[in-house]
Amino acid sequence: MESKQQNLPQKILYVEDDPDIRAVAEIALEDVGGFLTAICESGAEAVERAPEFEPELILLDVMMPGMDGPTTLQALRELDGMETVPVIFMTARLQKSEIEEYQALGALGVIPKPFDPMNLSEQIAQILADAVGRDFR
Amino acid sequence: MALESTGKISSRLEVLRQRFLERAKEDIQQLRTLAEKTRRGEFSADGLLFCYQSLHKLSGSAGTFGLPELGEAAKALEKELKGQAESLGALDDVLSHPIDIPDGFADGIDALAELVEVKSQAVDQDSSFTEEPTTYKGSQGMQVSVLLVEKGEERLAMLEKEMAPYGFSFTRVDCNDAGALGNALAEVRGAAAILCRESALSDVMSIRNTSFEESSRRRLPVICLGSDNSFQNRYRVAETGAYAFFPDPVDIPELAERIESLAIERSANVQGRVLIVEDDAELAEHYCLVLQAAGIEAQAVSEPFHLTSSLADFVPDIVLMDVQIGDYSGVTLARLIRFEPRWLSLPIIYLSSEDDRENQLEALSKGADEFLMKPVSDSYLVRSVRIRCYRARQLSELMNRDSLTGLLKHSLIKEEVEKELARCRRSGHRSCVVMLDLDHFKTVNDTWGHSQGDIVIRTLANLLRNRLRETDMIGRYGGEEFLVVLPECDVSAAKDLIRGIGESFSELSFVAGESSFQVTFSAGIAAINDFTNGEDALNAADQALYERKRGGRDGVTVYSSK
Repeated sequence: MESKQQNLPQKILYVEDDPDIRAVAEIALEDVGGFLTAICESGAEAVERAPEFEPELILLDVMMPGMDGPTTLQALRELDGMETVPVIFMTARLQKSEIEEYQALGALGVIPKPFDPMNLSEQIAQILADAVGRDFR
Repeated sequence: MALESTGKISSRLEVLRQRFLERAKEDIQQLRTLAEKTRRGEFSADGLLFCYQSLHKLSGSAGTFGLPELGEAAKALEKELKGQAESLGALDDVLSHPIDIPDGFADGIDALAELVEVKSQAVDQDSSFTEEPTTYKGSQGMQVSVLLVEKGEERLAMLEKEMAPYGFSFTRVDCNDAGALGNALAEVRGAAAILCRESALSDVMSIRNTSFEESSRRRLPVICLGSDNSFQNRYRVAETGAYAFFPDPVDIPELAERIESLAIERSANVQGRVLIVEDDAELAEHYCLVLQAAGIEAQAVSEPFHLTSSLADFVPDIVLMDVQIGDYSGVTLARLIRFEPRWLSLPIIYLSSEDDRENQLEALSKGADEFLMKPVSDSYLVRSVRIRCYRARQLSELMNRDSLTGLLKHSLIKEEVEKELARCRRSGHRSCVVMLDLDHFKTVNDTWGHSQGDIVIRTLANLLRNRLRETDMIGRYGGEEFLVVLPECDVSAAKDLIRGIGESFSELSFVAGESSFQVTFSAGIAAINDFTNGEDALNAADQALYERKRGGRDGVTVYSSK
C-alpha cells in the first residue's frame, strides 16, 4: 500500500446536472476525500472552467440534458492541456457494452451510481490504482 | 483542505438527505399522477418520456442518500420503459398520442411512494443512518493498517521492522504534531488500531477522544507498550482507557494476533438475511421494507409450495414464519423444513398472534425456536431480527471455522475446491489450489512445546489472511497443513505469490524464553482446471508438496504430469 494517497490527484473537475447529487459529491470529494474541486452543472460550464482550473482528474455524469458525458469529454479533449487528463464516468446504467463504450472513449473507469458519499474517494483511488496496473501479484 | 470530523460530515449529509427525501416525495407524487393515467388508458408518449427520465434520476441518486431500495425499485421500473422510451426519442410528432404500458406499472409507482414513506418514518425513529456507512469486509483482502504514534526520542522503528513480515501496513506519526495525528486518525484506510509507548499514551488518548465521538468507528482502540509491568502501572494504563498493554520485551506474535483479531472484529459487519413466510402479502411486503430499510436482506414467501426452493436460493440466516399460512400450518412447515439436514440448525421464529402459552409450547416442541407477538412494532422487529441473525451467524462461524486459526475447516475448504472447479468450467478462467505444510513441525513441538507450535500455526494463518485477496479461500487442512484456493490466478502467479509469503514467513522469529527460532514451509501447487474433479486437483497439489519436501523443503513446487 505504498503511498497511494500521495499519488492521488489534487484537483478534480466534476460535472453533474442534479443539484442534490452535486451537493453530496462536493462533501464527498472535498471534506471526505480532501480534494480541491470545480463543480459544474453542465458540460458547457465544464468546458468553460477547465482551462483555468487545470484539473488533474475529470468526473463526468453520463446522462445529462444538452451535452451528455461522452459529448462533454470530446469537447474537453479539444482544449489545450486537456488531451490526457484522466476521466472517470459515473452512471446508473452498468451494462457491459456501455462500460466498454466509455473505455473506448478513453475513460479510465466507471463509478456506478448511486455512489456512497463516504466511499467515493476510495473508489476513485481504486480506479486510479487499477489503471496503473498496480496489482499485488 | 481542512478535513472535517466525521460527525460534522454526517450531519451535513443528513441535511442533504432530508432535502432529497422531500424532493423525491414530490417527484414520486408527479409520477403517480402520470401513472394513474395508464389505468385509464390515457398515458401519452411525452408522459412516458418524463417518467423514464424521472425514474432514471431516482435510480441513480436514491442509494447515495441511503435509500437503496427506492433506487432499485425505480431502476426496475425504468427498465420496463426503456425499450419504448428509446424508440420514441427520435419521433417528436407523436408525443401526445396515447400509448400502452405494461400492466402493473402504476402499481410499481405506487410502491415507490410507500418506500419513500417507510424511509422517512425509519429516519424519524432512529437516525442511525448517520453512522459511517463505510464497509469493512473482513481483514482478508484488505491490508490491516496500524498507526504508530511516537513521542520525541522514542522511536518505534524497531518494532515496525519486527512486525513488517506479518503483512501490516504502518503509518508513523509524531504525537507532538497534534494536527498530523488528527489527520492520520481520520484518514488512514483500513486502520484497526493505534500503537504507542506509554509516554505518549495520555496525549494519544486525548487527541483521539476529542477528535471522535464515542460511537465513531474511527475512535480506534489504543494498544500501549511499556516497560513497567507492575499491577499499579497496568491499572493506571487501563484507567487511561487503553485497550491492551504489552510489557517489554514485546511479544511480537501475540501483538500481531491481537491486532489481527481487532481487525476481524471491526469488519464483522453483521446484517443478516431473513426469509419471511407470510400469506398476507401486504404485511409480508411491509416486513420486508422495514427490514430492508435497516440494511437487512429480506425476502417474502407467500406460497408455502415455494418454500423449499426459496430456502435453497436465498439461504437465509433465520426464518420468520406465520403460524397459519392459508391452509398450511406453520408448525408443520417448520418440521418439513427440518427434514433437510442442512436446515437442522436454521433458527425459525414464529410470527404469532397466538398468546395461548400451551399452543406456543406445542409449536416450540415441533421445531420453532421462538415467538414474536403480532402486532410487532417496526423497531422491535428490526432489533430482534438483527440480534437473532447475529447469533445465528456466530454459531455457524463457530461450526465452520477452525478454533485455533479462524480459517475454514477441512471439509469446507475441500468443498471450495469443487466449487471453484465448477466456476472455472462455467467462466473459463484459470485457478489454482495450493497445499501448504510447515517444515519440521514435529521438531518445533518437541523442542519448544505445543503452545509455541500453536503460535506458529496461528501466525501463518494470520499472514495468509493478510497477504491473500478477499476472494481467495484459506482453510486449515490438517494439523500443520493448510489449503488455499486462488481463483482467477494462473500457476506462475500463484507460485510467485506463495513464494513471497514463504520468504516473509521464514524471516519471522519466534521467541521462546531466552532463545528464538525460525520456521519455513513447503508448498505444492496445481492448476484446478487441469483436472476432472477437485479430489484429483488436491492429490496433484499434495504430490507436488511431497516432491518439494523431498527436494529440500522451504519452497514451492508446481505439479507437472510426467
